[in-house]
Amino acid sequence: MDMQEKIALLEETLELDEGTLTAETVLADVDEYDSMAKLSLIVMMDDEFGVKLTGDVIKSFVTVGDILNLMK
Amino acid sequence: MQNLIDFSDKKVLIAGASSGIGKQIAISLSKLGAAVILIARRENKLQEVISQLEGKEHSYYVADLSQTGEIEGLVKKIVADNGKLDGMVYSAGIAATLPVNMLKPEKLLSLFQINYFGFVEMVRQVSKKGRYNDNMRIVGISSVASIRGDKSKTAYSSSKSAMDSAVRCMAKELAEKGICLNTVAPAMTATELYDHFLEKYGDDSESSTTLLKRQYLGIIQPEDVANAVAFLLSPAARFITGITLPVDGGLTTT
Repeated sequence: MDMQEKIALLEETLELDEGTLTAETVLADVDEYDSMAKLSLIVMMDDEFGVKLTGDVIKSFVTVGDILNLMK
Repeated sequence: MQNLIDFSDKKVLIAGASSGIGKQIAISLSKLGAAVILIARRENKLQEVISQLEGKEHSYYVADLSQTGEIEGLVKKIVADNGKLDGMVYSAGIAATLPVNMLKPEKLLSLFQINYFGFVEMVRQVSKKGRYNDNMRIVGISSVASIRGDKSKTAYSSSKSAMDSAVRCMAKELAEKGICLNTVAPAMTATELYDHFLEKYGDDSESSTTLLKRQYLGIIQPEDVANAVAFLLSPAARFITGITLPVDGGLTTT
């Protein structure tokens, strides 16, 4: 999965319009990045990448790039 | 002195007995005299539970109850090894957190596989002629989630509602065989799941305070759920069938 596909998957998971996110996007600036979106992120990361996100890891995310780094 | 909750010489099958409520049910029933037959996926956990039981004659079987096609062979083997059953408790299940937008059919199916299909198949198999003694009792572990709504709990809550509906129907059918079956619906209980809740929110957080305001008798201990199960398995409950008994610290009254 290339970078563009990962970003598209994130946009779908967070229910954002296509082209909303870049690796540099600051998560705190994304209104839709709320507690339910974080739950969706947990499920997606587990389903697609076998990555189990903990609360502490989620709290450490600052930019979209931080999430992309774990999408492998 | 008469004791209606005495399981001496009774054999009770407990599905999902390796941790949490199922484990406590095994321990409590053994203290009340039952020979318990445990089923779970993890053998090391089963051995740990067996070591905590009172009395002898207990046994365990390693099986994944989400593989419903294997339940028939498993139950046949259990009855062949141990004789006819007097009770069955279904405590297997998972409590997944799945927001609607991630609730793909295959996710829903896999949760129902263990929480619901496994339960119905287990009831179907243990209630076949020659596999149970007179007055067999069956108890499924449901949840107050079955009658309450919460974000990301669609799959879990509906699987528990399905269990409750199933016992209302199966109770009528199985009454002809002298079998009673019910579910017990606990609210927040002090198991590993509650430990995760505390890890996530802390015990002085708003979530914890709100929870305890609603569940005003406090956090339920696994023993409290096991006691309700023991009651429903006993002759003391012989006129109770097809119900869901809340063990909820008052939650459903608020």
